[in-house]
Amino acid sequence: MKDPYEVLGVARTASDSEIKTAYRELVKKYHPDNYANNPLADLASEKMKEINEAYDAITKARAGSSGGYQSSYQSHGSNAYSGANSAYAQVRAYINANQLDAAESMLNTAANRDAEWYYLKGCIAYRRGWLDEARQNYQTAVAMVPNNYEYQNALRTVQGGYTPYRQANYQNNNMDTACELCNTLLCLNCLCGGCR
Amino acid sequence: MFGYVRPRRDLLAPEDLEAYRAAYCGLCRALGKQYGFAARFLVNYDMTFLYLLRASAAPAAQSARCWCPAKLCGRKDCTLDPEGFGAAAACTVILTVEKLRDNVRDEGFFRGLPYRFLTLLYRRAYCRAARRLPDFAALTVRQLHALHALEAAKSPSIDAVADAFAQIVAGCAGDLKDPALRRPTEQLLYQTGRFLYLADALDDLRGDCQQDAYNPLRYRFSVSDGALTQGDLDYLTQLTDSSVNLAGAALALLPMRAHEALLENVIYLGLPSVFAAVKAGKFQSRDRIQWNKNAKRENEDKETDR
Repeated sequence: MKDPYEVLGVARTASDSEIKTAYRELVKKYHPDNYANNPLADLASEKMKEINEAYDAITKARAGSSGGYQSSYQSHGSNAYSGANSAYAQVRAYINANQLDAAESMLNTAANRDAEWYYLKGCIAYRRGWLDEARQNYQTAVAMVPNNYEYQNALRTVQGGYTPYRQANYQNNNMDTACELCNTLLCLNCLCGGCR
Repeated sequence: MFGYVRPRRDLLAPEDLEAYRAAYCGLCRALGKQYGFAARFLVNYDMTFLYLLRASAAPAAQSARCWCPAKLCGRKDCTLDPEGFGAAAACTVILTVEKLRDNVRDEGFFRGLPYRFLTLLYRRAYCRAARRLPDFAALTVRQLHALHALEAAKSPSIDAVADAFAQIVAGCAGDLKDPALRRPTEQLLYQTGRFLYLADALDDLRGDCQQDAYNPLRYRFSVSDGALTQGDLDYLTQLTDSSVNLAGAALALLPMRAHEALLENVIYLGLPSVFAAVKAGKFQSRDRIQWNKNAKRENEDKETDR
Protein backbone atom coordinates (compact mmCIF):
# COMPACT_ATOMS: atom_id res chain seq x y z
CA MET A 1 0.00 0.00 0.00
CA LYS A 2 1.16 3.53 -0.84
CA ASP A 3 2.12 5.99 1.89
CA PRO A 4 -1.28 7.41 2.97
CA TYR A 5 0.19 10.89 3.48
CA GLU A 6 1.53 10.81 -0.08
CA VAL A 7 -1.90 9.73 -1.40
CA LEU A 8 -3.57 12.71 0.30
CA GLY A 9 -0.71 15.01 -0.69
CA VAL A 10 -0.01 16.26 2.83
CA ALA A 11 3.08 16.32 5.06
CA ARG A 12 3.36 13.93 8.01
CA THR A 13 3.34 16.97 10.27
CA ALA A 14 0.00 18.23 8.85
CA SER A 15 -2.72 19.02 11.37
CA ASP A 16 -5.98 17.07 11.51
CA SER A 17 -7.88 19.92 9.88
CA GLU A 18 -5.32 20.16 7.04
CA ILE A 19 -5.71 16.43 6.41
CA LYS A 20 -9.48 16.72 6.41
CA THR A 21 -9.35 19.65 3.96
CA ALA A 22 -7.01 17.77 1.60
CA TYR A 23 -9.24 14.70 1.81
CA ARG A 24 -12.40 16.68 1.01
CA GLU A 25 -10.72 18.33 -1.98
CA LEU A 26 -9.72 14.94 -3.38
CA VAL A 27 -13.21 13.52 -2.79
CA LYS A 28 -14.68 16.45 -4.75
CA LYS A 29 -12.17 15.87 -7.55
CA TYR A 30 -12.74 12.13 -7.97
CA HIS A 31 -16.43 12.03 -6.99
CA PRO A 32 -18.41 9.41 -8.99
CA ASP A 33 -20.66 12.23 -10.35
CA ASN A 34 -17.62 13.64 -12.19
CA TYR A 35 -17.17 10.32 -13.99
CA ALA A 36 -20.79 9.31 -14.65
CA ASN A 37 -20.84 7.08 -17.77
CA ASN A 38 -17.17 8.00 -18.34
CA PRO A 39 -15.00 5.24 -19.90
CA LEU A 40 -12.48 5.91 -17.10
CA ALA A 41 -15.08 5.54 -14.31
CA ASP A 42 -13.34 2.38 -13.06
CA LEU A 43 -10.02 4.22 -12.64
CA ALA A 44 -11.76 7.08 -10.80
CA SER A 45 -13.45 4.54 -8.54
CA GLU A 46 -10.09 2.92 -7.73
CA LYS A 47 -8.66 6.33 -6.96
CA MET A 48 -11.55 7.07 -4.57
CA LYS A 49 -10.96 3.75 -2.85
CA GLU A 50 -7.26 4.53 -2.44
CA ILE A 51 -8.06 7.99 -1.00
CA ASN A 52 -10.61 6.55 1.45
CA GLU A 53 -8.16 3.86 2.59
CA ALA A 54 -5.42 6.45 3.06
CA TYR A 55 -7.73 8.72 5.07
CA ASP A 56 -8.94 5.81 7.22
CA ALA A 57 -5.34 4.67 7.83
CA ILE A 58 -4.27 8.15 8.99
CA THR A 59 -7.33 8.72 11.17
CA LYS A 60 -6.98 5.28 12.79
CA ALA A 61 -3.28 5.84 13.46
CA ARG A 62 -3.98 9.25 14.98
CA ALA A 63 -7.02 7.99 16.92
CA GLY A 64 -4.65 5.56 18.68
CA SER A 65 -2.92 8.54 20.27
CA SER A 66 -5.75 11.07 20.62
CA GLY A 67 -8.94 8.97 20.40
CA GLY A 68 -12.06 9.31 18.21
CA TYR A 69 -12.32 10.48 14.57
CA GLN A 70 -14.85 10.79 11.80
CA SER A 71 -15.04 7.99 9.25
CA SER A 72 -14.35 8.48 5.53
CA TYR A 73 -16.75 9.20 2.66
CA GLN A 74 -18.74 6.16 1.60
CA SER A 75 -19.68 5.68 -2.03
CA HIS A 76 -23.42 5.26 -2.44
CA GLY A 77 -23.44 3.14 -5.59
CA SER A 78 -24.85 5.67 -8.00
CA ASN A 79 -25.32 3.13 -10.76
CA ALA A 80 -28.06 1.20 -8.95
CA TYR A 81 -30.63 0.19 -11.53
CA SER A 82 -33.89 -1.62 -11.04
CA GLY A 83 -35.25 -1.77 -14.59
CA ALA A 84 -37.69 -4.55 -15.47
CA ASN A 85 -36.19 -5.30 -18.90
CA SER A 86 -33.47 -7.92 -18.46
CA ALA A 87 -32.06 -7.27 -21.96
CA TYR A 88 -31.50 -3.62 -21.04
CA ALA A 89 -29.92 -4.72 -17.74
CA GLN A 90 -27.49 -6.85 -19.74
CA VAL A 91 -26.74 -3.93 -22.09
CA ARG A 92 -26.01 -1.75 -19.05
CA ALA A 93 -23.68 -4.41 -17.67
CA TYR A 94 -21.79 -4.49 -21.00
CA ILE A 95 -21.56 -0.70 -21.05
CA ASN A 96 -20.22 -0.60 -17.47
CA ALA A 97 -17.62 -3.21 -18.44
CA ASN A 98 -16.63 -1.05 -21.48
CA GLN A 99 -17.71 -3.87 -23.86
CA LEU A 100 -19.34 -1.40 -26.22
CA ASP A 101 -19.54 -3.57 -29.36
CA ALA A 102 -21.35 -6.32 -27.41
CA ALA A 103 -23.70 -3.74 -25.88
CA GLU A 104 -24.49 -2.22 -29.26
CA SER A 105 -25.14 -5.51 -31.07
CA MET A 106 -27.47 -6.61 -28.25
CA LEU A 107 -29.27 -3.27 -28.32
CA ASN A 108 -29.72 -3.45 -32.10
CA THR A 109 -31.62 -6.72 -31.78
CA ALA A 110 -34.33 -5.05 -29.65
CA ALA A 111 -37.62 -4.79 -31.53
CA ASN A 112 -39.07 -1.93 -29.49
CA ARG A 113 -37.18 1.37 -29.56
CA ASP A 114 -38.41 3.15 -26.44
CA ALA A 115 -36.84 5.98 -24.44
CA GLU A 116 -34.45 3.66 -22.62
CA TRP A 117 -33.25 2.22 -25.93
CA TYR A 118 -32.26 5.72 -27.07
CA TYR A 119 -30.71 6.50 -23.69
CA LEU A 120 -28.54 3.37 -23.82
CA LYS A 121 -27.62 4.08 -27.45
CA GLY A 122 -26.51 7.54 -26.26
CA CYS A 123 -24.47 6.00 -23.42
CA ILE A 124 -22.59 3.78 -25.90
CA ALA A 125 -21.87 6.75 -28.19
CA TYR A 126 -20.78 8.88 -25.21
CA ARG A 127 -18.31 6.26 -24.02
CA ARG A 128 -16.87 6.06 -27.54
CA GLY A 129 -16.48 9.84 -27.54
CA TRP A 130 -19.10 10.29 -30.29
CA LEU A 131 -20.67 13.25 -28.54
CA ASP A 132 -22.93 14.50 -31.36
CA GLU A 133 -24.59 11.09 -31.72
CA ALA A 134 -24.81 10.74 -27.93
CA ARG A 135 -26.54 14.08 -27.63
CA GLN A 136 -29.08 13.32 -30.34
CA ASN A 137 -30.00 10.00 -28.69
CA TYR A 138 -30.25 11.58 -25.22
CA GLN A 139 -32.49 14.32 -26.67
CA THR A 140 -34.81 11.68 -28.18
CA ALA A 141 -34.95 9.82 -24.84
CA VAL A 142 -35.77 13.03 -22.93
CA ALA A 143 -38.40 14.00 -25.52
CA MET A 144 -40.08 10.58 -25.10
CA VAL A 145 -39.96 10.57 -21.28
CA PRO A 146 -39.37 14.16 -20.11
CA ASN A 147 -39.48 13.46 -16.36
CA ASN A 148 -36.70 10.87 -16.17
CA TYR A 149 -33.85 12.30 -14.07
CA GLU A 150 -31.26 9.86 -15.45
CA TYR A 151 -31.94 10.91 -19.06
CA GLN A 152 -32.01 14.60 -18.17
CA ASN A 153 -28.71 14.33 -16.31
CA ALA A 154 -27.04 12.55 -19.24
CA LEU A 155 -28.25 15.22 -21.65
CA ARG A 156 -27.02 17.99 -19.35
CA THR A 157 -23.57 16.39 -19.23
CA VAL A 158 -23.20 16.20 -23.00
CA GLN A 159 -24.51 19.75 -23.39
CA GLY A 160 -21.44 20.90 -21.45
CA GLY A 161 -23.70 22.10 -18.64
CA TYR A 162 -21.94 19.96 -16.08
CA THR A 163 -18.32 20.88 -15.46
CA PRO A 164 -15.82 18.70 -13.63
CA TYR A 165 -14.24 19.84 -10.39
CA ARG A 166 -11.07 21.38 -11.84
CA GLN A 167 -12.77 23.31 -14.58
CA ALA A 168 -15.19 24.78 -12.09
CA ASN A 169 -12.13 26.18 -10.29
CA TYR A 170 -10.76 27.65 -13.53
CA GLN A 171 -14.06 29.35 -14.27
CA ASN A 172 -13.86 31.47 -11.14
CA ASN A 173 -12.55 34.49 -13.02
CA ASN A 174 -15.56 36.50 -11.85
CA MET A 175 -14.79 35.73 -8.21
CA ASP A 176 -12.36 38.66 -8.04
CA THR A 177 -15.16 41.02 -8.98
CA ALA A 178 -17.46 39.38 -6.40
CA CYS A 179 -14.80 39.74 -3.69
CA GLU A 180 -14.23 43.36 -4.63
CA LEU A 181 -17.99 43.95 -4.32
CA CYS A 182 -18.07 42.31 -0.87
CA ASN A 183 -15.09 44.38 0.27
CA THR A 184 -16.76 47.56 -0.99
CA LEU A 185 -19.98 46.70 0.86
CA LEU A 186 -18.02 45.96 4.07
CA CYS A 187 -16.16 49.28 3.81
CA LEU A 188 -19.44 51.08 3.15
CA ASN A 189 -20.97 49.39 6.18
CA CYS A 190 -18.03 50.53 8.35
CA LEU A 191 -18.26 54.09 7.03
CA CYS A 192 -21.97 54.15 7.85
CA GLY A 193 -21.20 53.13 11.42
CA GLY A 194 -21.88 49.41 11.11
CA CYS A 195 -18.56 48.53 12.80
CA ARG A 196 -19.37 50.13 16.12
CA MET B 1 5.16 27.81 -34.61
CA PHE B 2 1.76 26.37 -35.39
CA GLY B 3 -0.82 24.40 -33.52
CA TYR B 4 -4.12 24.73 -31.69
CA VAL B 5 -3.11 23.05 -28.43
CA ARG B 6 -1.36 25.82 -26.56
CA PRO B 7 -1.54 27.49 -23.15
CA ARG B 8 -2.92 30.92 -22.31
CA ARG B 9 0.52 32.41 -21.74
CA ASP B 10 -0.87 35.53 -20.09
CA LEU B 11 -2.40 33.35 -17.35
CA LEU B 12 0.67 31.15 -16.79
CA ALA B 13 2.98 31.52 -13.80
CA PRO B 14 6.46 32.76 -14.91
CA GLU B 15 8.12 29.43 -14.02
CA ASP B 16 5.51 27.48 -16.01
CA LEU B 17 5.95 29.79 -19.00
CA GLU B 18 9.71 29.19 -18.82
CA ALA B 19 9.14 25.42 -18.62
CA TYR B 20 6.84 25.62 -21.66
CA ARG B 21 9.34 27.60 -23.71
CA ALA B 22 12.15 25.24 -22.67
CA ALA B 23 10.05 22.21 -23.71
CA TYR B 24 9.30 23.80 -27.10
CA CYS B 25 13.01 24.51 -27.68
CA GLY B 26 13.91 21.07 -26.32
CA LEU B 27 11.60 19.39 -28.82
CA CYS B 28 13.12 21.46 -31.65
CA ARG B 29 16.62 20.44 -30.51
CA ALA B 30 15.63 16.76 -30.20
CA LEU B 31 14.13 16.80 -33.72
CA GLY B 32 17.40 18.24 -35.04
CA LYS B 33 19.57 15.75 -33.14
CA GLN B 34 17.50 12.67 -33.98
CA TYR B 35 16.19 13.43 -37.48
CA GLY B 36 18.48 16.06 -39.00
CA PHE B 37 18.40 19.84 -39.24
CA ALA B 38 15.38 19.98 -41.61
CA ALA B 39 13.24 18.23 -38.97
CA ARG B 40 13.62 21.27 -36.70
CA PHE B 41 11.11 23.07 -38.94
CA LEU B 42 8.41 20.58 -37.89
CA VAL B 43 8.31 21.70 -34.25
CA ASN B 44 4.85 22.87 -33.19
CA TYR B 45 2.72 23.60 -30.12
CA ASP B 46 0.61 20.43 -30.42
CA MET B 47 3.63 18.15 -30.14
CA THR B 48 5.10 20.25 -27.32
CA PHE B 49 1.90 19.52 -25.42
CA LEU B 50 2.30 15.82 -26.25
CA TYR B 51 5.82 15.84 -24.78
CA LEU B 52 4.70 17.66 -21.61
CA LEU B 53 1.79 15.25 -21.17
CA ARG B 54 3.96 12.15 -21.55
CA ALA B 55 6.69 13.62 -19.36
CA SER B 56 4.32 14.61 -16.53
CA ALA B 57 4.55 11.22 -14.81
CA ALA B 58 8.25 11.77 -14.04
CA PRO B 59 9.96 14.65 -12.20
CA ALA B 60 10.71 17.64 -14.46
CA ALA B 61 13.85 17.19 -16.59
CA GLN B 62 16.85 19.54 -16.37
CA SER B 63 17.22 22.55 -18.67
CA ALA B 64 20.36 24.13 -20.14
CA ARG B 65 21.33 26.98 -22.48
CA CYS B 66 21.39 25.63 -26.04
CA TRP B 67 22.23 27.13 -29.43
CA CYS B 68 19.10 28.26 -31.28
CA PRO B 69 19.29 28.47 -35.10
CA ALA B 70 16.38 30.95 -35.13
CA LYS B 71 18.47 33.39 -33.09
CA LEU B 72 21.66 32.74 -35.13
CA CYS B 73 24.25 33.61 -32.48
CA GLY B 74 21.85 33.40 -29.52
CA ARG B 75 21.19 30.72 -26.97
CA LYS B 76 17.91 29.75 -25.30
CA ASP B 77 16.86 27.58 -22.37
CA CYS B 78 15.86 24.13 -23.55
CA THR B 79 14.82 20.97 -21.74
CA LEU B 80 17.37 18.15 -21.93
CA ASP B 81 15.38 14.92 -22.06
CA PRO B 82 16.44 12.88 -25.14
CA GLU B 83 14.53 9.76 -24.05
CA GLY B 84 11.37 11.71 -23.17
CA PHE B 85 11.42 13.67 -26.43
CA GLY B 86 11.97 10.48 -28.46
CA ALA B 87 8.29 9.53 -28.84
CA ALA B 88 7.06 13.11 -29.37
CA ALA B 89 9.73 13.72 -32.05
CA ALA B 90 8.92 10.42 -33.83
CA CYS B 91 5.17 11.22 -33.77
CA THR B 92 5.90 14.69 -35.19
CA VAL B 93 7.87 13.27 -38.14
CA ILE B 94 5.37 10.47 -38.89
CA LEU B 95 2.33 12.75 -38.76
CA THR B 96 3.94 15.42 -40.94
CA VAL B 97 5.17 13.02 -43.63
CA GLU B 98 1.88 11.12 -43.76
CA LYS B 99 0.03 14.44 -44.10
CA LEU B 100 2.41 15.42 -46.93
CA ARG B 101 1.77 12.07 -48.67
CA ASP B 102 -1.96 12.66 -48.25
CA ASN B 103 -1.57 16.05 -49.93
CA VAL B 104 0.40 14.45 -52.81
CA ARG B 105 -2.55 12.09 -53.36
CA ASP B 106 -5.12 14.91 -53.15
CA GLU B 107 -3.44 17.51 -55.35
CA GLY B 108 -2.71 17.28 -59.07
CA PHE B 109 0.80 16.65 -60.43
CA PHE B 110 1.98 20.27 -60.59
CA ARG B 111 0.26 21.50 -57.42
CA GLY B 112 1.55 18.40 -55.63
CA LEU B 113 5.20 19.05 -56.57
CA PRO B 114 6.11 20.97 -53.36
CA TYR B 115 4.63 18.13 -51.26
CA ARG B 116 6.57 15.53 -53.29
CA PHE B 117 9.78 17.48 -52.68
CA LEU B 118 9.13 17.73 -48.92
CA THR B 119 8.22 14.03 -48.72
CA LEU B 120 11.58 13.22 -50.31
CA LEU B 121 13.36 15.64 -47.97
CA TYR B 122 11.95 13.89 -44.88
CA ARG B 123 12.11 10.34 -46.28
CA ARG B 124 15.08 9.17 -44.17
CA ALA B 125 13.68 10.85 -41.06
CA TYR B 126 10.36 9.08 -41.64
CA CYS B 127 12.03 5.66 -41.96
CA ARG B 128 13.89 6.21 -38.67
CA ALA B 129 10.73 7.42 -36.89
CA ALA B 130 8.65 4.50 -38.27
CA ARG B 131 11.28 2.05 -36.99
CA ARG B 132 10.90 3.58 -33.55
CA LEU B 133 7.07 3.59 -33.54
CA PRO B 134 5.98 1.01 -36.16
CA ASP B 135 2.48 0.54 -34.71
CA PHE B 136 1.82 4.27 -34.70
CA ALA B 137 3.05 4.63 -38.30
CA ALA B 138 0.71 1.80 -39.41
CA LEU B 139 -2.21 3.28 -37.44
CA THR B 140 -1.67 6.70 -39.03
CA VAL B 141 -1.73 5.25 -42.56
CA ARG B 142 -4.87 3.21 -41.77
CA GLN B 143 -6.76 6.09 -40.19
CA LEU B 144 -5.83 8.60 -42.90
CA HIS B 145 -7.20 6.15 -45.49
CA ALA B 146 -10.40 5.86 -43.43
CA LEU B 147 -10.61 9.64 -43.19
CA HIS B 148 -10.06 9.97 -46.91
CA ALA B 149 -12.87 7.48 -47.62
CA LEU B 150 -15.28 9.35 -45.32
CA GLU B 151 -14.40 12.66 -46.95
CA ALA B 152 -14.83 11.18 -50.45
CA ALA B 153 -18.27 9.87 -49.42
CA LYS B 154 -19.09 13.35 -48.05
CA SER B 155 -20.00 11.93 -44.66
CA PRO B 156 -22.47 14.09 -42.70
CA SER B 157 -21.36 12.51 -39.40
CA ILE B 158 -18.95 14.85 -37.63
CA ASP B 159 -18.42 12.07 -35.07
CA ALA B 160 -17.20 9.59 -37.70
CA VAL B 161 -14.71 11.94 -39.38
CA ALA B 162 -13.50 13.42 -36.09
CA ASP B 163 -13.08 9.85 -34.76
CA ALA B 164 -10.86 8.87 -37.71
CA PHE B 165 -8.52 11.75 -36.87
CA ALA B 166 -8.81 11.49 -33.06
CA GLN B 167 -7.76 7.82 -33.21
CA ILE B 168 -4.45 8.97 -34.71
CA VAL B 169 -3.90 11.52 -31.93
CA ALA B 170 -4.81 8.93 -29.27
CA GLY B 171 -2.30 6.57 -30.92
CA CYS B 172 0.51 8.90 -29.78
CA ALA B 173 0.15 7.21 -26.37
CA GLY B 174 -0.20 3.68 -27.73
CA ASP B 175 3.37 2.71 -26.77
CA LEU B 176 2.88 3.45 -23.05
CA LYS B 177 3.12 0.15 -21.18
CA ASP B 178 1.29 0.91 -17.91
CA PRO B 179 -2.51 0.78 -18.49
CA ALA B 180 -3.11 3.14 -15.54
CA LEU B 181 -1.08 5.72 -17.46
CA ARG B 182 -2.01 4.75 -21.03
CA ARG B 183 -5.82 4.75 -20.72
CA PRO B 184 -6.25 8.30 -19.34
CA THR B 185 -3.57 9.60 -21.74
CA GLU B 186 -5.30 8.00 -24.72
CA GLN B 187 -8.68 9.35 -23.62
CA LEU B 188 -7.25 12.84 -23.15
CA LEU B 189 -5.55 12.74 -26.55
CA TYR B 190 -8.67 11.34 -28.23
CA GLN B 191 -10.81 14.23 -26.97
CA THR B 192 -8.07 16.71 -27.84
CA GLY B 193 -7.96 15.19 -31.34
CA ARG B 194 -11.73 15.61 -31.68
CA PHE B 195 -11.39 19.21 -30.56
CA LEU B 196 -8.57 19.80 -33.08
CA TYR B 197 -10.57 18.38 -35.97
CA LEU B 198 -13.71 20.39 -35.19
CA ALA B 199 -11.79 23.63 -34.56
CA ASP B 200 -9.89 23.17 -37.83
CA ALA B 201 -13.14 22.39 -39.71
CA LEU B 202 -14.70 25.61 -38.37
CA ASP B 203 -11.56 27.58 -39.20
CA ASP B 204 -11.58 26.27 -42.79
CA LEU B 205 -15.35 26.49 -43.33
CA ARG B 206 -15.47 29.72 -45.32
CA GLY B 207 -12.58 28.68 -47.61
CA ASP B 208 -14.05 25.19 -48.14
CA CYS B 209 -17.42 26.70 -49.07
CA GLN B 210 -15.76 29.03 -51.60
CA GLN B 211 -13.80 26.14 -53.16
CA ASP B 212 -16.72 23.72 -52.85
CA ALA B 213 -14.44 21.36 -50.88
CA TYR B 214 -15.58 18.82 -48.31
CA ASN B 215 -16.08 20.06 -44.78
CA PRO B 216 -18.14 17.95 -42.32
CA LEU B 217 -19.83 21.05 -40.91
CA ARG B 218 -21.32 21.83 -44.36
CA TYR B 219 -23.14 18.47 -44.37
CA ARG B 220 -24.10 18.37 -40.68
CA PHE B 221 -25.40 21.92 -40.22
CA SER B 222 -27.06 24.54 -42.38
CA VAL B 223 -24.37 26.87 -43.70
CA SER B 224 -25.05 30.22 -45.35
CA ASP B 225 -22.34 32.54 -46.75
CA GLY B 226 -19.64 30.23 -45.42
CA ALA B 227 -20.81 30.58 -41.81
CA LEU B 228 -22.90 28.58 -39.35
CA THR B 229 -26.08 29.99 -37.81
CA GLN B 230 -25.73 31.20 -34.22
CA GLY B 231 -27.72 28.18 -32.96
CA ASP B 232 -25.44 25.70 -34.75
CA LEU B 233 -22.36 27.58 -33.56
CA ASP B 234 -23.61 27.31 -29.97
CA TYR B 235 -24.28 23.60 -30.49
CA LEU B 236 -20.76 23.07 -31.84
CA THR B 237 -19.30 25.03 -28.92
CA GLN B 238 -21.14 22.76 -26.48
CA LEU B 239 -19.69 19.71 -28.26
CA THR B 240 -16.14 21.05 -27.97
CA ASP B 241 -16.79 22.07 -24.34
CA SER B 242 -17.83 18.46 -23.63
CA SER B 243 -14.57 17.28 -25.20
CA VAL B 244 -12.64 19.68 -22.94
CA ASN B 245 -14.56 18.36 -19.90
CA LEU B 246 -13.76 14.74 -20.80
CA ALA B 247 -10.10 15.61 -21.46
CA GLY B 248 -9.96 17.37 -18.07
CA ALA B 249 -11.50 14.38 -16.28
CA ALA B 250 -8.83 12.16 -17.89
CA LEU B 251 -6.06 14.60 -16.92
CA ALA B 252 -7.14 14.42 -13.26
CA LEU B 253 -6.50 10.66 -13.29
CA LEU B 254 -2.89 10.93 -14.42
CA PRO B 255 -0.23 10.43 -11.75
CA MET B 256 1.37 13.84 -12.26
CA ARG B 257 4.75 14.72 -10.86
CA ALA B 258 5.48 17.70 -13.12
CA HIS B 259 3.80 20.32 -15.34
CA GLU B 260 0.38 19.95 -13.66
CA ALA B 261 -0.52 23.66 -13.74
CA LEU B 262 0.79 24.00 -17.28
CA LEU B 263 -1.26 21.08 -18.62
CA GLU B 264 -4.38 22.28 -16.81
CA ASN B 265 -3.87 25.70 -18.34
CA VAL B 266 -3.73 24.18 -21.84
CA ILE B 267 -6.89 22.09 -21.35
CA TYR B 268 -9.11 24.43 -19.35
CA LEU B 269 -7.97 27.83 -20.61
CA GLY B 270 -6.00 27.35 -23.83
CA LEU B 271 -8.44 25.15 -25.77
CA PRO B 272 -11.60 27.20 -25.02
CA SER B 273 -9.72 30.42 -25.84
CA VAL B 274 -8.50 29.00 -29.15
CA PHE B 275 -12.04 27.91 -30.06
CA ALA B 276 -13.41 31.35 -29.14
CA ALA B 277 -10.75 32.92 -31.40
CA VAL B 278 -11.65 30.53 -34.24
CA LYS B 279 -15.35 31.40 -33.83
CA ALA B 280 -14.55 35.10 -33.92
CA GLY B 281 -12.47 34.58 -37.09
CA LYS B 282 -9.32 35.77 -35.28
CA PHE B 283 -7.37 32.54 -35.65
CA GLN B 284 -6.56 32.60 -39.37
CA SER B 285 -3.24 31.02 -40.32
CA ARG B 286 -1.37 34.28 -40.79
CA ASP B 287 -2.46 35.43 -37.32
CA ARG B 288 -1.59 32.24 -35.52
CA ILE B 289 1.82 33.41 -34.38
CA GLN B 290 0.32 36.69 -33.20
CA TRP B 291 -2.59 35.04 -31.43
CA ASN B 292 -1.03 34.73 -27.99
CA LYS B 293 0.18 38.33 -28.14
CA ASN B 294 -3.32 39.50 -29.08
CA ALA B 295 -4.85 37.47 -26.23
CA LYS B 296 -2.37 39.03 -23.81
CA ARG B 297 -3.14 42.53 -25.11
CA GLU B 298 -6.90 41.95 -24.77
CA ASN B 299 -6.38 40.78 -21.21
CA GLU B 300 -4.32 43.87 -20.42
CA ASP B 301 -7.05 46.05 -21.93
CA LYS B 302 -9.65 44.39 -19.69
CA GLU B 303 -7.44 45.03 -16.65
CA THR B 304 -7.12 48.69 -17.64
CA ASP B 305 -10.90 49.02 -18.10
CA ARG B 306 -11.44 47.51 -14.68
